[in-house]
Amino acid sequence: MITLVKQETFKLLHKKSTYAVSATLLIIMTIYAVLTKNYPKYWGAPQGQFVGMFTGATWIVFFMIAACSSIIAMEFQYGTIKELLYRKYYRGQILVSKWITMLLYSIYFYVLAFVWSLLLKVVLFNDKFQLSDTYQSGHSVIEAQWLGIIGTFLTVWLVLSLVLLLANIFKSTAAAISIGIIGYFALSIISNVMFLLMQKWEWLKWNPLNMMNLPQQLLSDSVHKMTLLSTPEMVCGSLVYTAIFMAISYVVFKRRSV
Amino acid sequence: MADTILNVEHLNKNFGKKQVLKDVSFSVQTGHIVGLVGPNGAGKSTIMKAVLGLFNYASGKITIDGDPVSPTSHKAMDKVGALIEYPGIYPFLTGYQHLQLFSKDSTSKDQIMDIVDKMKMDSYINRKAKTYSLGMKQKLGIALALVDRPKFVILDEPMNGLDPQANKDLRTIILDLAKQGTTFLISSHILSELEKLIDDLVVIDKGQIVYTESMANLESGGKKLLVLKTSDDAKAKDLLAQNNYQLDDGDKLAVIENDQTKMADVIKLLSDNDIEIEDVQHVHSDLETSLLNLLKNDKVKES
Repeated sequence: MITLVKQETFKLLHKKSTYAVSATLLIIMTIYAVLTKNYPKYWGAPQGQFVGMFTGATWIVFFMIAACSSIIAMEFQYGTIKELLYRKYYRGQILVSKWITMLLYSIYFYVLAFVWSLLLKVVLFNDKFQLSDTYQSGHSVIEAQWLGIIGTFLTVWLVLSLVLLLANIFKSTAAAISIGIIGYFALSIISNVMFLLMQKWEWLKWNPLNMMNLPQQLLSDSVHKMTLLSTPEMVCGSLVYTAIFMAISYVVFKRRSV
Repeated sequence: MADTILNVEHLNKNFGKKQVLKDVSFSVQTGHIVGLVGPNGAGKSTIMKAVLGLFNYASGKITIDGDPVSPTSHKAMDKVGALIEYPGIYPFLTGYQHLQLFSKDSTSKDQIMDIVDKMKMDSYINRKAKTYSLGMKQKLGIALALVDRPKFVILDEPMNGLDPQANKDLRTIILDLAKQGTTFLISSHILSELEKLIDDLVVIDKGQIVYTESMANLESGGKKLLVLKTSDDAKAKDLLAQNNYQLDDGDKLAVIENDQTKMADVIKLLSDNDIEIEDVQHVHSDLETSLLNLLKNDKVKES
């Protein structure tokens, strides 16, 4: 299994896009930090930007959706899936090695964005706020950032498990990416309707889109009144949905003829 | 059964309602080069994929070196190298990186460079594969199949896109490896090329094995002809028939050769009777002719 993860990492590290994406993330974060410093009126308080890792948290979602769909779909696109599968390894191992690689990749992104946001804070906003300042609902700035990271990490993986499944079914990057991105951002569009419907039919609170509110709920307890779920319930819900999508992926991948 | 490396027994496979493999059974002797031939869509690649554990099959049994093979049982694949349909190539990796990526940890750098050298890929092995031509990709695909020096190699249309020199190089490599004990299962449409390589032949048509035979038997089964062109073919035909020579049916004047047939006697007989000989040719029925005859007879009924 370690060999397989190494091989996946080898491929990832030899793609130019891997480096381009990391550089893009840092550049975008820097731009937002500079804009926030120079035009605080338009870009809001620097604390808020810092908590969201200077929009880094959002961009990571995009990049990970693209990476997850491509790590599966590229094998079908390039015809390399046969070379991967006819070896002594089991199919399940091949798929799991890809998941592990993506998990490591997502952790890498969060660490990178976190470190860079700290750096930007020290360089640009050292006199503006302290990490220990109170931010929201009694949480300090740094606590808020960490809660945000944990919350988005869980919800991002809920989306990614769906993207991995779709890439597996459609064997195409485009389909998986579009549905993943639309799915992630559909929440903000339909959440009001969803909350209304949930008032009427309470069981709807268990739908996967509701789990996507986890980062907000971690930061402020009042969100609980909308989601109707306690925080542990949401954490479990996210994990269960992620596991379900992964399990379907696994079955689809194992049964596929190539 | 120690000397057979691959055993396929009663293999059946359906795509939906269409049965693509019907009760396919054959075996491959260790150290032999076996040709798998048949018309387009006969099921060659399907058999190869099943042997590589890429396909679920309805019923049957496949073993490589005694180990069963199925999509969930891949232990035997450790001894196998393969190129199926077209080579799978990552455009963002160089040729060398492909070999590095797919070779086993136990395969040394020298072994990698050895196959690169033999396939004459040195000049572009460190270039990104997206710049490769069709033939270069094909060579890389073959190199990937051979790099780990597997016991059993499956090549599907390996001559695709190769130039004549590369074709000859490939032939040399395959024959060398076979001499050292590597077993090959090769499919190809280029029968003239295949003929120069293979020991045994497996012919498949419409999902069924229609013929398995060693090349030696196949060659001896074919007719050898002595084709003549003379000043008076009609007279020559009569004359030869009178002298108990067997003649081939057809427009041309052709003597069916057997052990007793001597060309000198034929020439002497004709020239003694004032028939001028303009041309003499030996004609062997080649693989292509034998195969086309075989498939034309259509042993297989479409079900």
